[in-house]
Amino acid sequence: MKTIGNRDEDSSVTLLSFDTSTVAFSAAIVKDGILIDSILSFSERNHSVRILSEIKELLTRNGLQGKDLDAIAVGQGPGSYTGVRIAVTAAKTLAWAWNKPLMGVSSLEALAFGAWNALRAANEDGVPDRDTWIVPIMDARRGQVYTSRYAANESGKWETVDRDGIRLISDWASRIEEEATSDSCTAAVWFVGDTATHLTAIQQAEKSGTRLRVLACDMDAAAVGQLAELRFRQGERDDVHSFVPNYTQLAEAEAKLIAASRGE
Amino acid sequence: MNGSNDAVSPSSTSDYLLLAIETSCDETSVAVVRNGREILSNVISSQIETHKQFGGVVPEIASRKHVESITIILEEALREAGVGLPDIDGVAVTQGPGLIGALLVGVVAAKSLALALDVPLIGTHHIAGHIYANHLVGDIVYPAIALVVSGGHTEIVLLEEEGKFRIIGRTRDDAVGEAYDKVARALQFPYPGGPYVDKLAQEATEEIVLPRSWLEPDSYDFSFSGLKSAVLSEINRSRMKGETPDFSALARGFQQSVIDVVTGKAIRAAKEFGAHQMLLCGGVAANRGLRERLSSLCEEAGLPLLIPPNKLCTDNAAMIAAAADLKWRRGQFSTLDLKAEPILSLEDWSV
Ligand SMILES: [Zn+2]
Repeated sequence: MKTIGNRDEDSSVTLLSFDTSTVAFSAAIVKDGILIDSILSFSERNHSVRILSEIKELLTRNGLQGKDLDAIAVGQGPGSYTGVRIAVTAAKTLAWAWNKPLMGVSSLEALAFGAWNALRAANEDGVPDRDTWIVPIMDARRGQVYTSRYAANESGKWETVDRDGIRLISDWASRIEEEATSDSCTAAVWFVGDTATHLTAIQQAEKSGTRLRVLACDMDAAAVGQLAELRFRQGERDDVHSFVPNYTQLAEAEAKLIAASRGE
Repeated sequence: MNGSNDAVSPSSTSDYLLLAIETSCDETSVAVVRNGREILSNVISSQIETHKQFGGVVPEIASRKHVESITIILEEALREAGVGLPDIDGVAVTQGPGLIGALLVGVVAAKSLALALDVPLIGTHHIAGHIYANHLVGDIVYPAIALVVSGGHTEIVLLEEEGKFRIIGRTRDDAVGEAYDKVARALQFPYPGGPYVDKLAQEATEEIVLPRSWLEPDSYDFSFSGLKSAVLSEINRSRMKGETPDFSALARGFQQSVIDVVTGKAIRAAKEFGAHQMLLCGGVAANRGLRERLSSLCEEAGLPLLIPPNKLCTDNAAMIAAAADLKWRRGQFSTLDLKAEPILSLEDWSV
């Protein structure tokens, strides 16, 4: 484990991070929590084509080689099954080939953390001593979203309230609204990410008229790198061989098989 | 970095190692092949036990399994070959055809490796792999006719010279392997049923003669859906009469019809195009009945026949290295933007 505050060179951490769980391809170089450079492109269903060229370009233009990296960070999902597999496969293979630590980060948490950074930059980080809930959402079709919930405040708190899952947006937004109403510690709720698709459901859940807010934003690999660095500095590592995407649900055929075996 | 490790490749400076990845369907396979022909390792991780319970390959589950095992199989292939990553001179991968989600895992892994090692990448055609599996076991003499029979493909391919593919016949409906699996289901065998049908047909004492689908007299194409229907209606007919269908006689009838047509057309093609050699390949090349008939027909015709051993007939990465070698020797490399293609033309892939 690396010691924070150690002034020798070793305390500096450089990560390559990327995510393909959404329509965005996002890659970044993060050094000691600071974004050095990034690439963001939109090529739905085509992440597999450009991912390695983009990573190569990002490394080359920053004068970096594999050996210069301290870890590979990747968005582990949830999100598009195929999309998540692309980044995870690239991350596993690069980490294995370069013999570097692999750090998986929830894509939802990265989406939320990136949004929180943007809100803070815009001085929207809320009321002193009270929390802001950040609720990332990614469309999962049929009224469902991949989502989770984090509690943050301006003194640097960042905690998971609800873990990654697939939920019906109408139920989920209502539940968040109810809980926020009865929780005096929570000042504001931000739905972030793919909010445009689910704006109606969020608005319908709104009771107070002011509490639920939305921030449409894209995945930012800088947040993947920053979250990974926190884990890295705590000495955490993911096992390259057994690392798999977090799909949050069984493949349809598996679910059917289990249902059938229960006689449903 | 490349080829500098003389401890591993002592014979000559031109020795080169290709690492190949194959994930087009339900096998995760990685091979290390020296000079395009010498297999140092060929690790195959089959998902068949997983897919059995679904009665066939489930694409989403196949893709998930590939991600689970890809780096494990990579590492095993290197260990078995007794080489390290710095010894690898090029990376080959199945680009298509195949299940898109499954192909993607191999393609992304291969591109990552090519980037990490800074070596050339070669996107490879799966069927070219099946055909060039023969180059791992013998010398190919051109012009040659390749009979490709597998779960997804039934093709007669003319190779006028090395690396030049011309498809002269293909199936218009089911592939041979597909027909076998469907008939196996009708005969109440579990998936994958091809080998059961082969065995039952071999042991049969009776044969229910079923129609042969020759199509137009000059055609090298195939059609097996009518034959499959004939099997089903034969089963229905005997059940209606209150009899027990004779599965073994049916299996034999089915197998004889398939073998007559595929070997008959292959031999005719060899004669018409003046082939100097016949190549049998693909997963169904493991079928004993087919091997035996083609062997005796080729012997009669004085035509040399190559058939790879079973392990090189089913999907494997060594065959991908063998085909990629065609491009390696010609310096025809892919870029890092290589795209997995569920449908990919074999003829266009020619060198
Ligand atoms: Zn095959």
